[in-house]
Amino acid sequence: MLGILRALGTVVSAALRKPATVQYPTEKKQLPHRARGFPTLLWDFERDEPFCTGCQVCARYCPTDCMTVTMRDNPKYAEGKSPRRKIVDKFFIDYARCMRCDICVEVCNFDAIVMDNTWRSVELSRYDRQELVMDLDALLKPSRTGQLKDPFRDAMGVAHHGWAPRKAEEEKEKVAAAEE
Amino acid sequence: MIGNNPWLDGILRLLVVAVAVPLSVIVLNYLERKVIGRVQNRLGPMRVGPYGTLQSVADTIKLLTKEDVRPSTADQWSFELAPYVVVVPTIVALVTVPIMPDLFIRNLGLGLFFIVAVSTVPIVGFVMAGWGSDNRYALLGAMRSAAQLISYEVPLILAVVAVAMVAHTADGGRGTLNLTEIVDGQDKVPYIFWQSLAFFIFTVAGLAELYRHPFDIPVAESEVVGGPFVEYSGMRWAMFQLGEYVSLVLISLLGALVFLGGWNWPLVNELAERNAVAGTALQAVLMLGKTSFFILFFFLMRAAMPRLRVDQLMAFSWQVLLPLSFYQIIVNGLVVVYGWPDVVLGVLSGLGLLAGSALTYRAVRKPTMVRRPRPVAARQGSEVKV
Amino acid sequence: MAVQPPERELETLDLYINVGPQHPATHGVFRMVLTVDGEVVEDCDPVIGYMHRGNEKLPENCDYRQIIGYHDRTDYLAQFNTEWTYCLAVEKLMGLEVPERAEYIRVILGELNRIASHLMFMGAFGTDVGFFGTSFMYTFRERETIQDFFEAVTGERMMYNYFRPGGVAWDVPDDFEEHARYVLDRVRTAIDDIDGIMTENEVFLARCRGLSPVTPEQAINWGFSGPMLRATGVKHDLRRAEPYSIYDRFDFEIPVGTQGDVYDRYLVRLEEMRQSIRIVDQALRQMPKNGPIMASGLKRTIRVPPGEVYARTESPRGEYGVYIVSKGGDKPWRHKVRAASFCNLSALRNMVVGNYVADAIIILGSIDIVLCEVDR
Repeated sequence: MLGILRALGTVVSAALRKPATVQYPTEKKQLPHRARGFPTLLWDFERDEPFCTGCQVCARYCPTDCMTVTMRDNPKYAEGKSPRRKIVDKFFIDYARCMRCDICVEVCNFDAIVMDNTWRSVELSRYDRQELVMDLDALLKPSRTGQLKDPFRDAMGVAHHGWAPRKAEEEKEKVAAAEE
Repeated sequence: MIGNNPWLDGILRLLVVAVAVPLSVIVLNYLERKVIGRVQNRLGPMRVGPYGTLQSVADTIKLLTKEDVRPSTADQWSFELAPYVVVVPTIVALVTVPIMPDLFIRNLGLGLFFIVAVSTVPIVGFVMAGWGSDNRYALLGAMRSAAQLISYEVPLILAVVAVAMVAHTADGGRGTLNLTEIVDGQDKVPYIFWQSLAFFIFTVAGLAELYRHPFDIPVAESEVVGGPFVEYSGMRWAMFQLGEYVSLVLISLLGALVFLGGWNWPLVNELAERNAVAGTALQAVLMLGKTSFFILFFFLMRAAMPRLRVDQLMAFSWQVLLPLSFYQIIVNGLVVVYGWPDVVLGVLSGLGLLAGSALTYRAVRKPTMVRRPRPVAARQGSEVKV
Repeated sequence: MAVQPPERELETLDLYINVGPQHPATHGVFRMVLTVDGEVVEDCDPVIGYMHRGNEKLPENCDYRQIIGYHDRTDYLAQFNTEWTYCLAVEKLMGLEVPERAEYIRVILGELNRIASHLMFMGAFGTDVGFFGTSFMYTFRERETIQDFFEAVTGERMMYNYFRPGGVAWDVPDDFEEHARYVLDRVRTAIDDIDGIMTENEVFLARCRGLSPVTPEQAINWGFSGPMLRATGVKHDLRRAEPYSIYDRFDFEIPVGTQGDVYDRYLVRLEEMRQSIRIVDQALRQMPKNGPIMASGLKRTIRVPPGEVYARTESPRGEYGVYIVSKGGDKPWRHKVRAASFCNLSALRNMVVGNYVADAIIILGSIDIVLCEVDR
């Protein structure tokens, strides 16, 4: 009977521990900084336009083929307000197809797309599947309204060919040159 | 006797039971889910009502309003009468169980005998349920449940009868089936100390009677899904669950009364001499505590034990429990005939318990069935047979 | 002269029991047609294919970074191990050298994933044997801790897509080491809990001891690998036999069973969890503080020189192998997955016939199959 008594002892000692339940939705777990929700586009507040130029690299690398991107000429470039020659015209992501693999973030040349790491991007129940196809406004909304406070945009090693690491390098060199 | 009128008295007592039984079932259902939840490191029901207390009420309402699905090929009489045959005898058995010194419906002189006789009737109900369902799995479950119940009924009865044989009566003799007298005879020492082997047999056989882990093969959820109850829905299924919880209460009460001293131990008589109200309060608390001990033990066993296979279950009953209960009866008989004191009873009973544990330990360490390897013929092609 | 009783006087019919695709006891959509005589199983016909998704054909249209997601979904309980096998295959073909820090990160994450997979086995196996969900809750509590750790590192709780040919995709956060040590502490509690309710439990022993014993010769003939093989007594572990990555730097033991029965398989997996904790502990101490996490000189699109390669690793289920044929270019010509569960499951009939129906479920549970691997 010793084994059964040991089992009962384990069970009783486990009962005295604090339960591990997090009572969703009244309490929500704290999402880590790198939590991978669905992709969203970033808004460039300095120049009042999206970072995205519509170059279609992300759409080409997407394994599930869930993005549709088109580009147009940027009127602000003609006015001299922005260095981007082209800007995104239409951008559709089908959240029902996206598998959140993070490849689009990795290959973007302009650091324009990130994975939304808030609860909002995970609680996506809809009654109709068509409502999960997000257009440009819906994709820019979290960044524009300031909900997306702290996306995960650290340098992603050599695999990341984005614009920001190059810029950061150039800044560092400029600062080092200025110090000399 | 209330109001000096036997009819009024009987009806009032029956009403009390009729109200208390469903109430206790609802409370027990909620408590079981909470206790098992805590054991599994989670919270249990929390949403319906404050801390989930109204969960059982919500479940009952749901079951009442559910559609009464009946298989078209089911045997009418068998299928429909089965829940009643299972539930009614269990509630009837509560007639003679005294909760407090004068809180019972009728104190029969043959109390234990009546309880034991009436609680064998549900076996027929389970077989009726399985047969009437016209379902292969239900039939399997019903056969297994009938086998299990019958084989564990015998050690249970023998264990309880063994205690009844040596229970001290009001007039100083030994041997009574009256539950109140059995409890009254335990004011110095509860019978668990003198009859530890019978207590062990009673607990194990009680687990099997209630379909609790480790003996719940008839209602095994991950194999024969649901057992004999698989075709029942709504209120009929709720009646089976009601029967299960009422038997749980019955066995716990019986154990508390017969083995743990009921309301009479410890220190009750001394307190009652000083202060009658405090004495009654202590009796109530003791009774509640002892019954809860059994109930909690049954809940914990459900959480901590896997399931025995049918042949292992039967082997355990017939090869271990039954000889031990015979041994207990022989010992008790000798003590009654030769007038030996209770201590001899306690020592011999304890020795029997040790021997039983050693037997079980040995039986478990080696496999019960030698699996002779059968030659498996090579297959020609692979046709899927349905 | 003894009188022989006649063989089968009563005319009995064999019953066909369909342990169907939807059943609480089969781990995924798997169908078993059992021919049953009373309670004894006479014949067993497993039917697979309900989860076939084209895991070998579809990658022929994907470039080498997109295929990592497929491997995540092949064995969804040990994703890091499968991603690792695939990355080893591509690295062998391209001749890449993975930097030190990336290797240590891979080892830590892979071993923690092994622990998570074995915890899932303990939970599901306990439910098969008859625990009312207790084993499930204990193990899943700590699986949650491990998954939270993975979420802090990669961002996802299940389909990580984190390893790349040549290293890992991005660096680990700053509190990696203390978070990992916290996870190890919690995992030790879970293993002790499971040990307490299952290992010595007499009822558990009565169910699992001596059930379908397998000899080493039978195991090798039937193509077993992983804990199934080690439970029979064969001391074969790919991390020792053909050390890949940096496994030759760690000091760990290989648990072996004696009879190859269901109880031995459970014990081997329990002990493997403890050895994995040892490995993670050593790796955390030896890991370099800084360094590159990706091989240098790689472009955004990997082009693999022509050739073929077969790489195999020790996944929690056994030997997981990836065979790639490349004809140059950025997409493979042929991509084949050798799944451990498929080979282990093919011996089901031999193990089940002659046992009871209730035991058939337990034997199936003890093989620890993942249907996505079996069907791909």
